[in-house]
Amino acid sequence: MSQVDFEIAIVGAGPAGLSAAIAAANAGRRVVLLERRACPGLPPRCGEGIGLKGMSAGLEVRPEWIRTTIRSASLISPGGIEVGIRDVPESYILDRPKMEQDMFDQAVASGATGVLDAPVVSVARQPDGGYLLRTPECEYRASCLIIADGVESRIARDLGWNTALPDIDSETCAFAKVSGLQLDESSIRLYLGSSIAPGGYAWVFPTSSSSANVGLGILGTKSAPKKARDLLDRFLRERLPDATLEEVHCGGVPVGKWARPLVRGGALLVGDAARQVNAVNGAGIAYAAVAGKSAGETAANAFSSGRFDSTTLTLYEQEWARNYGKQQERSYALKRMLIGYSDATMDAIARKVVKKKGQLSYLSVFLTAFSRHPFLLIKSFFLFR
Amino acid sequence: MSNHEHSSTVAVDREACDICGTCVAVCPTAALKIIRELEIDHDRCIRCYRCIRICPFGALKRDNGAAEHVSG
Repeated sequence: MSQVDFEIAIVGAGPAGLSAAIAAANAGRRVVLLERRACPGLPPRCGEGIGLKGMSAGLEVRPEWIRTTIRSASLISPGGIEVGIRDVPESYILDRPKMEQDMFDQAVASGATGVLDAPVVSVARQPDGGYLLRTPECEYRASCLIIADGVESRIARDLGWNTALPDIDSETCAFAKVSGLQLDESSIRLYLGSSIAPGGYAWVFPTSSSSANVGLGILGTKSAPKKARDLLDRFLRERLPDATLEEVHCGGVPVGKWARPLVRGGALLVGDAARQVNAVNGAGIAYAAVAGKSAGETAANAFSSGRFDSTTLTLYEQEWARNYGKQQERSYALKRMLIGYSDATMDAIARKVVKKKGQLSYLSVFLTAFSRHPFLLIKSFFLFR
Repeated sequence: MSNHEHSSTVAVDREACDICGTCVAVCPTAALKIIRELEIDHDRCIRCYRCIRICPFGALKRDNGAAEHVSG
């Protein structure tokens, strides 16, 4: 079995790992990026929504990655009361496979060694403080390890982290790519309710005027075997009977607090693996990108400055905590509150909001919802970061 | 631990599994792992069956010997 040495090994080529690889390779470090799938971004693992704010902070968006630009939204309460909201903060539905393939190519063009179809079988800390990673074909050694293996967060667990998700901090999701629809391609629809998506929500994100990403997530505590898939089938049958199913996938979303520590020895934890996700809406692409970039830069700086140690690497955690950590924790506090709301409470809030009549502005919905109820849901949905 | 020897662990239906990792994320003992497919370490499994309940596609079942048995 061949053995290769690098300065930085990155496990996982999703938005977090790719951003880390690009940053570290651009800084001139010797980087290997290992991805267990054969193709970056495939199969899809989410609704592919991201807010403009999140995008500009973490990713340099390319126009060809944008399928649709979202300017309005409808929130449908459990009892069917529709709250229409115009002028939501501009958001996009992305072509993630394209984005991730392009970012992978960019990482390689920047000098990173990208290896696809390379699942990590084992990881171990070496006596010299470095890491040894084994794939079925090869062994990789690196002083620094950036862990970006997504929701499963399995590499971290072998290195002493306890990132196992309690049921109450997990969403289990099923989603489909559908065609044959007639849609307003600038508007998303979100459905709430215990019979639709208990402890979560269902989404319809248009990818064109005739196609959409449709999915739903349910809270782990409300899950049963195959329940997410069964609820998705029912949702499609009842709400989008004309839809043609192109493909169906599933996935998990961590909706807990971000993992601590983010740095252990020479290893840095990023993205879904670090539970860096908006706990209310499950959005994690933007967080993953900013965290990955920061981790990649911090690791590269540690080598460049000749101070490769835990203290230097911890700057990544400090940066995350300062810029996004509190915001993420607020989303978690909010999620804990919202999962306690009954269908009747959500209907009552929706009823009150629509009393204002007509198309509501983002701000007016927010203010109305908050005048009596601590209903941060609407705002939080559209933070997408 | 009293029933450890006799209770069933977990088996994966590879046709139904989308290799999404949701079960891996909730496993309290890190008994699950994705290499190219989902692998189950039966020695680490404590029979809590949280993986079975969380699976969005219903791809995991109690292993009563009839289903495929894979050592991790």
